[in-house]
Amino acid sequence: MVYLRLLIAAICPVIATVCLYLLGRKALFPGSKEKHRQLLYGFIFGLVAVFCSEFGVPVFGVIINVRDAAPLCAGLIFGAPAGIIAGLIGGLWRWFAVLWGAGTYTRLACSVSTVIAGVLSAVLRKWMFDDKKPSWYYGFVVGLVMEVWHMLMIFFTNMGDVKQAFTFVKTCSAPMILANACSVMISLLAVSLMGKEKLVLEKEHKKLSQSFSRWLFVVVLAAFGITSIFTFVLQDSFSMSDNKSLLKLNIEDVKADIEDASDANLLKLTRSVAADLNAADEIDDALLFTISDKPGNDFSEINVIDENGIIICTTNPAYKGFDMSSGGQSGDFLVLLDGTQEFVQSYQPVSKDDSTYMKYAGVSLENGGFVQVGYDAERFRQDIDDQVNGATRNRHVGESGYMIISADDWNIVSDPQGNEGQNLSASGLWIDTKTMRENERYALTVHGKESYIMYAITEGYYIIAVEPVAEVLFSRDLSIYVTVFMEIIVFAVLFSLVYFLIKMLVVENIHKINGTLAEITGGNLNVSVDVRTNEEFVSLSDDINATVATLKGYIAEAAARIDKELEIAKVIQFSTLPSVFPPYPEQSDFDIYATMNTAKEVGGDFYDFYLLDENRLAFLIADVSGKGITAAMFMMKAKTLIKSYAEKENDVAVILTKANEALCEGNDAEMFVTCFMGILNLTTRKLSFANAGHNAPVVRCAGGEAQFLKFRPSFVLGEMENIRYRAGELTLNPGDEIYLYTDGVTEATDEKLQLYGNDRLLAVLNSAGDLSAQEMCDRVKADVDRFVGEAPQFDDITMLHLKMLPKHIITVQPTMESIESVLVFVENTLADLCVPPKIMVKMNIVVDEIFSNIVRYSGAMEAAVECSVMGGQVRLVFTDDGRPYDPTEKPDPDTAAPIDERDAGGMGIYIVKKFMDHVEYACRDERNILTLTKRFETEQ
Amino acid sequence: MNVVKTLKEDELQVKVMGRLETVTAPMLEGELKNSLEGIATLIFDFSELEYISSAGLRVLFSMQKIMNKQGKMVIRGANEDVMEVFEVTGSVDILTIEA
Repeated sequence: MVYLRLLIAAICPVIATVCLYLLGRKALFPGSKEKHRQLLYGFIFGLVAVFCSEFGVPVFGVIINVRDAAPLCAGLIFGAPAGIIAGLIGGLWRWFAVLWGAGTYTRLACSVSTVIAGVLSAVLRKWMFDDKKPSWYYGFVVGLVMEVWHMLMIFFTNMGDVKQAFTFVKTCSAPMILANACSVMISLLAVSLMGKEKLVLEKEHKKLSQSFSRWLFVVVLAAFGITSIFTFVLQDSFSMSDNKSLLKLNIEDVKADIEDASDANLLKLTRSVAADLNAADEIDDALLFTISDKPGNDFSEINVIDENGIIICTTNPAYKGFDMSSGGQSGDFLVLLDGTQEFVQSYQPVSKDDSTYMKYAGVSLENGGFVQVGYDAERFRQDIDDQVNGATRNRHVGESGYMIISADDWNIVSDPQGNEGQNLSASGLWIDTKTMRENERYALTVHGKESYIMYAITEGYYIIAVEPVAEVLFSRDLSIYVTVFMEIIVFAVLFSLVYFLIKMLVVENIHKINGTLAEITGGNLNVSVDVRTNEEFVSLSDDINATVATLKGYIAEAAARIDKELEIAKVIQFSTLPSVFPPYPEQSDFDIYATMNTAKEVGGDFYDFYLLDENRLAFLIADVSGKGITAAMFMMKAKTLIKSYAEKENDVAVILTKANEALCEGNDAEMFVTCFMGILNLTTRKLSFANAGHNAPVVRCAGGEAQFLKFRPSFVLGEMENIRYRAGELTLNPGDEIYLYTDGVTEATDEKLQLYGNDRLLAVLNSAGDLSAQEMCDRVKADVDRFVGEAPQFDDITMLHLKMLPKHIITVQPTMESIESVLVFVENTLADLCVPPKIMVKMNIVVDEIFSNIVRYSGAMEAAVECSVMGGQVRLVFTDDGRPYDPTEKPDPDTAAPIDERDAGGMGIYIVKKFMDHVEYACRDERNILTLTKRFETEQ
Repeated sequence: MNVVKTLKEDELQVKVMGRLETVTAPMLEGELKNSLEGIATLIFDFSELEYISSAGLRVLFSMQKIMNKQGKMVIRGANEDVMEVFEVTGSVDILTIEA
C-alpha cells in the first residue's frame, strides 16, 4: 500500500510529460511564443512537484516523495527555462510547507535540492545535451545523482545529529532515489517512443560524442563500482577489526581490574602479616597460626622464607624446609631476596603439588627473608567474587555493548541487566568451550539482539564482551553511505567535466572540420579549415588546407587541360559544319543559314548542307542522343556517313537507309541520331525529304502561315537495322521557306520549368516579316533566349533556315539602247521590293556603271541582271557571256590626282565599289558573274 | 535628261535636268561641244539633276579641262546624291562646286 502510493506519485511526472508532449506536438498552442510555452511548462511541472510533495509516503516516520522528478523532467524534456521555473516552484513550496505541517528536519535540504534539480536539468539540457532530449538512461542517471545529492544535503544540513540524519537517509534513500530516477527515465522513454526519434537500437555508425560518452559512462560506472566495493570491503573489515579490538580491550580491562583488585587485597593482608612478624621478637610456626587466626586475616597459608630461600616457618607443615628455588612458581618469589619489597603472583598450581591452586603474595622482612601469604582456591574465589561482583556494572562496550562475567558453574556473576546468580542462558548466551575459543569473536543472539561476543577465562571466570551487530554496522554503513554518495557525486561531476572537455576540445572541432570538409566535398574548394584551439587541430587544419590547395591546383590544371581539349574538340566540331555565310553568294535561288549553340562545349546536334551538283542542294539537321564528347564523336561519324552516301545516292530515303545500316554496325555505345534531310532540286524546285525520328520542320509558303510539315517520321538512325526510310516531296516556290530545328529550341526551359514549345515557335516564325535566313534564325534564337531568361541551357540549340528567293531577272542583248530598259527593270523591281529612294539612286548609278562596261568592253552577246532584296539587303547579279573580266581586280583610281591626269574610265568601278557593301566576281561556264550586295536600313 | 542653256554675254548657264549617265552624257557633251567658244564662265545648274554616273563625270572633267583654258566652270545646286559621287571620286578637289 505504501509503495503503491509511491508508485502513483512517481507516475505523476510521467503523465504530465506525456500529456504536455502530445499537446505540444499537436500544436495545441499555435502561435504562442516559445517563451510563453516555457512558462506554461514550468508552471505545470511546478504544480506536479507540489502535488508529489503533498502525496508523500510515510515510511518508518520518514516522508518519501518524488518532488525532484518533476523539475528534472521539465528541464530535460521541455527546455531549460521550464526546468528552472518548476524547480523554483517546487523548492519554494517545500520551504513554506512547514507552515502547514511538513517536517522542518529536512526543510533546507529538500527545498534547496528541488531548486537545484531545476537548475541542474536546465544546465545539462543546455550544455550537455545540446538542447535536445537526452536518452532514457541519462534520465535515470540524472535522477539518481540528483537524489544522491538530496541525501547528502540531508546529511550536511544535520551534521549535529549524524545518527538521526543517517537513520533518516538510510530509510528513505533507496526508495526515493529509485522512484525519482525511474520517474525521469520512464518520462524520457515515453517521449522518445512517441517522438519521431524512434529508438534506433543498432546504428552502423555512432557519433563520436555518443560512443565517447557511452564509454566514459561505462568506465566511470566501473570505477564507481570498484571503488564502492573497495570502500565496502575496507569499511567492513575496519569495523570488524575495530569491533574485535574493542571486545578484546574490554575483556582485558575487566580481567586486569579483577586481578588488580585481588592482588591489592592479598598484598594488603601480606603487608599486615609482615608488620606483625617484624614486630615479633621471634618467629615460629605458633606465631604464624596466631596471626592467621586474627580476625580479617582470611587467607589460608603463611610461609616465612629465610635469606637462603628455604621455608623456615609455615602454617602448612608439608612445606617446611622447602627450597623455593626448586620450582618455577615458587622461584618467582626469590626476587624478594634481591631487594624487591613486594611481589604478587596470579592464581596458579604450586611448585610442590600441581593439583593445588594457590595465589601468593610476598613482602620482604626487616630481618632478612620474606613472608609469603597465600589464598587457596576457596579463599581466592571468595576474594575475587567480591571484586568481580559489580565489575561490569558501569562498563560499556562501545555505545550499547556490555560485559557479562560468569563463574565456571555458568552462573552470572556480573551483568548490567542485574541477572546475577542466574544461569548464563538467561541472557540467551551459550558458550561451548569445546568449539568456541577464547579471544575469538562469534555472532550470537544476546538479550534478543544479534551481537558479536568474545570471551576470555580469568581466575576461573568467563569474562564475556557483547556488542550488538547493529551498532557495529551503523558506523560501517554510515561510512559506506557517505562515501558512496560522495563518489556518485564526484564521478558524476567527473563524467560531466571530461565529457565537456572532450566536447569542447575534440568533438566540436571535429564538427567544425567536418562541416568545412562537407563544404569542400560539395565542391567549394575556396573554404579553409581553421581550427586553432590546440596543436593537433592546428596541424590537422593545416594538412587539410594544404591537401585542398594541392587538389585545387591539380583540378585547375586538369580543368585547364580538359577545357583546352574541349575547346579544340569544339573547334574541330564546328569546323566540320558549314560556317561561311552566305555559302553560295553567286547563286540567287535560295538563302540558307544555320546556327548551333551547344549546351556543353561539344554537343550532339549538327546541321549540314552542300550542293550535290549545280542543281541539287542537300541540307539536314540532326540530334545525337546524349551530350558531350561521346555524342560529338557519334555526330562526326553520322555526319560523315550521311555526306558520303549523299554523294553516291540520289534518293534521300536510300541515303538515310544506308547511313542507318552503317551507324548500326558496331554501335556498342547504343547511341542514336534523329535526322531530317532534304534534297532540293533547284530547277524543278522539288524538295525530296526524309525524316528519321526528328522534329517536324516548319514550312511557310510565301505570304502564308507557318505550319509544321505533316509527314510521319521514320525510326531514328543507328538504333535498329533493316529500316526502310520513306521519302516525301514538297515544292518550294520562290518566297517559300523551311525551318529545321532540334528539340533544344522547342524544349528550351525557363526558370519556372516551362517549355518553349511548338506554339511559341510558330508564333515567332509567323510574326517575322520578309527576313533573310540569318535574320530568321537570329529572331528565333533571340525569342528563345528571352523566354529562357536566367535559366541554364540544357540542350544544344540548332536551327537551319532555307528560303527560296523570289526571281527578278532581265536578260538582254547588251547594247547602249538596252541600258535604259535594264535601268527601268531594276528601278521598278526595287520599287516593288520597297527599297528606299536613296538606295534606288545608288543602284541606278551602279547598274549604269556595270552594264555600260559590259556593253562597251565585254563583247557579250547576252547579258542578264538579276536583282533581289532579302532582309534589308539589295543583291544585284550581272551575268554576261563576254570576255572574262574581273572588275574587282582593277586598281582604284587616284582620286587626288589633278584633272589632267584623271582617267574618268576607271571611276565607274570605283564608284560601284564605294557604293556597294560587297562586290564579288566569279567566272563560271564562260560567263562573268558579278554579284553586288548593299545593305540598307528599312524605313519604318 | 533635258538641258536648258542660257547665254549671257560670255557666261553660259547650263541647267541639266534628269539623269546624267551613260546614255545621256554623250547628249550633254554634244550640246556643249560647240557652245563654249568665247565663253569665260560656264555654270552648271544641277538643282534638278537626279544623279550622275561616271559617264557624266567624264563630260564634266572634259568641260573643266576646256574651261580651265578659257575661264572658269562652276557647278551649282548639286543634290546630296550628286555630291556623294563628287566626293567619292575626289571630284570636289577638281571641280568648282558652289552651293
